[in-house]
Amino acid sequence: MAKDSTGQDILELRSMPVETMESILATAKEMKNIVLRDIKKLPTLRGRSIINLFFEPSTRTRTSFELAGKYLGADVVNITTSASSVVKGESLRDTLLTVEAMGVDVIVMRHSAEGAAHFAAKAVQPIIVNAGDGAHEHPTQGLLDMFTIREKKGTIAGQKIVIIGDITHSRVARSDIWGLKKLGADVHLCGPATLMPRDIGELGVTVHARVEEALEGADVVNVLRIQKERQQKGLFPSAREYARIFGVNDARLKLAKPDVLILHPGPMNRGLEIAFDVAYSEQSVIQEQVTNGVAVRMSILFQALMGGKKIEAVD
Amino acid sequence: MKLLIKGGRIINPALNMDIAGDILITDGCIAEIGQKIDGAGAEIFDATGYIVAPGLVDMHVHLREPGLEAKEDIYSGTRAAAAGGFTTIACMPNTKPVVDSSIAVSGIIQRAQNEGVVRVRAIGALSKGQEGKELAEIGDMVAAGAVALSDDGHYVSSARLFQAGLLYANMFDKVVISHAEEESLVEDGHMHEGAISAMLGMRSRPAVAEDIAVMRDVMLAEYTGARLHIAHVSSANAVEFIRQAKKRGVKVTAEATPHHLTLTDEAVIGFDTATKVNPPLRSADHVQALIQGLNDGTIDAIATDHAPHAAEEKDMEYIYAPSGFAGLETSVGVILTSLYHTGQCTLPQILEKMTIGPARILGGEAGVLQPGAAADITLIDPDREWVVDETTFYTKGKKTPFSGQKLKGKAVAVFVAGELIMKNGEVLK
Ligand SMILES: [Zn+2]
Repeated sequence: MAKDSTGQDILELRSMPVETMESILATAKEMKNIVLRDIKKLPTLRGRSIINLFFEPSTRTRTSFELAGKYLGADVVNITTSASSVVKGESLRDTLLTVEAMGVDVIVMRHSAEGAAHFAAKAVQPIIVNAGDGAHEHPTQGLLDMFTIREKKGTIAGQKIVIIGDITHSRVARSDIWGLKKLGADVHLCGPATLMPRDIGELGVTVHARVEEALEGADVVNVLRIQKERQQKGLFPSAREYARIFGVNDARLKLAKPDVLILHPGPMNRGLEIAFDVAYSEQSVIQEQVTNGVAVRMSILFQALMGGKKIEAVD
Repeated sequence: MKLLIKGGRIINPALNMDIAGDILITDGCIAEIGQKIDGAGAEIFDATGYIVAPGLVDMHVHLREPGLEAKEDIYSGTRAAAAGGFTTIACMPNTKPVVDSSIAVSGIIQRAQNEGVVRVRAIGALSKGQEGKELAEIGDMVAAGAVALSDDGHYVSSARLFQAGLLYANMFDKVVISHAEEESLVEDGHMHEGAISAMLGMRSRPAVAEDIAVMRDVMLAEYTGARLHIAHVSSANAVEFIRQAKKRGVKVTAEATPHHLTLTDEAVIGFDTATKVNPPLRSADHVQALIQGLNDGTIDAIATDHAPHAAEEKDMEYIYAPSGFAGLETSVGVILTSLYHTGQCTLPQILEKMTIGPARILGGEAGVLQPGAAADITLIDPDREWVVDETTFYTKGKKTPFSGQKLKGKAVAVFVAGELIMKNGEVLK
């Protein structure tokens, strides 16, 4: 099914053209000015409707999309379907068809199954924005990380960027890898071998077993959230041990560049993957990532709906 | 009633025969094979330009009956087989209920006689309910006509029970077919473990799970002296273990599927559920190892593992979709396109793996053209170009990863006991 002529699905950064990423990042800059001003309202998407269709709870991402849509003047509705109330696999197409029948323009979708956004894009006409599909990708988070790094460092090209934690289960890591590499970054990964996909090196990243080695000379460190459930599955022995071996703390950060930037997709487990003093240090841009998230999502909704068009002067 | 199949290239791997010639059929049996037969009074079937081969044998098919008829049944499954060029198929017992008793085996055979258009051989379960806990009544099932035993769909995780199954089946000279995959390593995986699964973030099934399982089963076959067959081999190490075991004289045979011989895990990019299968599509190095195994005789048979599912079952998120897809109607085209027309295998090699190879493993008569044998014959046009259109399939579960692909090579006619049951892809019964 072809989408209408201007719109486009936002499914993943792996296949997204660099020009599209650049255009989203450029527009996000203008959007951030809107977010920071007193009256945050644009008429750009007036008369357009957006549904946040979340099959996994995520207050943070959902709220970010909701505000992004509203600041642009769109009508935004949230549907949060807890995974337990949906019979596995059976109802995704039905749910999508129902939403489509209500006449929405954009479906922002979060789902626990890898590829769910691709499935949706093929199943229905509205534009699909992937807000996270299993461990596959989280393209809007990737773009907001890119936006934040570029804002602080001026460029992404040539930066040593280290992603630390549970790579196996991280959609953020995958979107970051593609996005950052396309813009010329030197991407390094680190985490327990049990949480590192065996062949991830084939994606053109450097994998480190020791966090000290990974942090050496790093420009940017993105610390991933560790889910304690992984411990029950035997993927690491204890939180205590994780913090001791892989936790990002002040002492370890001395190995990085003095102006190293600390990112975290949140919510944080302070004292586990990230030490308290690091989370709130000068180098931490974790709070700012949240603000940037709204700006980037405004830009993404704009890109998705208006594809290619230039935003009219916003001031 | 006489029929003369005239002027084809007769490839009869069981007898090392590859000649231009004719086959005379009388009363459903082959009367004569020769370079020029005087078919006075016979009806003539012109086979000019075609390969005339023994009726193709597929030793690994899921007919889904009883219990799962929404996916497939004996009526539709045997017609799909005929359309694909097969005259004999063996069906796996993982139905609902499981085929684990003599009654169930007789039921399949009876239904196949009534509903089927090709010969159906039943494979019985190795363990009751395929639960891997107690042996099924193997002797009774063999008496009822079961040609092999298998818990296909599951690995028999208890080495003790598997050993018992090998020993017990061997008393009846029946082969045990193993679905070899160490389950604790593949738990909830949806595709091959490799660069592509790392990229897609999908839980995966490492090849080492198959390696370990094959190794254990081969060692038990060696230890017991019993006959073992490894279904749908897909990993390079598994091929190597089987090769080494054969050299030592272990009674092990193996099959590979058209999809594992031709597709890689890159097909999964895009999350089309038609690419989800178990064992999963692996990377190119594994595919090459399988082709090597086919060429050097390590792999004895090509089997489709035809595993249809109803359309709505496959129409969902990749990770929730069931594994398996239709294979009968694309098998010849896929194999000829990818292995013959690329020069990787010869026609006699390929046909051996699709006729006498599997027939020998199952025992009984099939897979050979010789005077006195039933006239089960498949005609193949090796150069016929066609595009896979699953809407024309006879199988109920129409998903295929080959959808829309242009293939070269097709079965164009099928005779079962001298009766023409398929012509140009159309099943006549
Ligand atoms: Zn199997």
